[in-house]
Amino acid sequence: MILTKRFWREAGFVVGLGAVVGLAVNARLIREYIKGGLNPAFISERAYPGAVLISLPEAEDLFAGGQGIFVDARSVEEFQAGHIAGAMSMPYEEIRNTDPERFVAALPPGKMPVVYCSGGDCLTSLALAKLFAEHGAGEIRVFQGGWEEWIAAGLPREKVDDPE
Amino acid sequence: MIRNKTLLFILRLLVGGLFIYAGVLKVADPVDFARDISNYRLVPPVIAFLTALVLPWIEILAGALLVLGVFRRTNALLIAAMLVFFIVLVAVTMVRGIDVDCGCFGTFSRKADWTLILEDAVMLFMVLQVALAGEAGKPAPAARPRKPLP
Repeated sequence: MILTKRFWREAGFVVGLGAVVGLAVNARLIREYIKGGLNPAFISERAYPGAVLISLPEAEDLFAGGQGIFVDARSVEEFQAGHIAGAMSMPYEEIRNTDPERFVAALPPGKMPVVYCSGGDCLTSLALAKLFAEHGAGEIRVFQGGWEEWIAAGLPREKVDDPE
Repeated sequence: MIRNKTLLFILRLLVGGLFIYAGVLKVADPVDFARDISNYRLVPPVIAFLTALVLPWIEILAGALLVLGVFRRTNALLIAAMLVFFIVLVAVTMVRGIDVDCGCFGTFSRKADWTLILEDAVMLFMVLQVALAGEAGKPAPAARPRKPLP
């Protein structure tokens, strides 16, 4: 029999020591987590250089003031079914396999791109912001609440009607 | 079963080394790893967070001890258990089709596929050879002289 008492004793030691070291080394991070100082979806801006995360009020300001251009990172089908009013469709899954620079060039100059995806913990918007940053885009905002938060707040939206 | 000591040492070095490498990469950015775990959508955030803090250290420790030959069989089995868990996790995630329409895995998404399962399976095979070969200095169980039949 391979799972002897000795195995459990030694395995307990290795796992226990790993746990103690892991918790001790990250004590500062644990305190930060308890205080609620960490992003709930564990998204660090460091992992997505070029992306500045914004919340709904900031997104609304950029929308209302007209300084922002909303960029929908979801699929074309999702975009057609409904999107933030005036948004451009830039589906991440397609863009990353084609020519990101062409899409960066298509962003209207003088406007702050605000990238969004479905909302919740979707990461497509962050991935798109990172891709754009790598291909020469300037500052980009990421609206993490995304489509879900936008419609929940009853803000302007539109959809692409089926061609008749 | 492999009995060649040099070969067994190379297997320990390979698997242990890979576990140390994987652990060190994750230790460097636990928050990032917590996000990767969250993306599997199997555990609540607090569990993902704690796992991200602890699991990389267990990987490093088990990998290092396997290379050094301390608790050899235990660490080989522990690593085997982790590999089985990873294989099941990736398979379940693929079956659930989580990444289909949102690209939600970031850079990790490209790795959570059949090639990852295959890599884990190869490592599992290698580390099981170490586990079955027995402890240093002792003959492997199957190599012990059998009692003569009555």
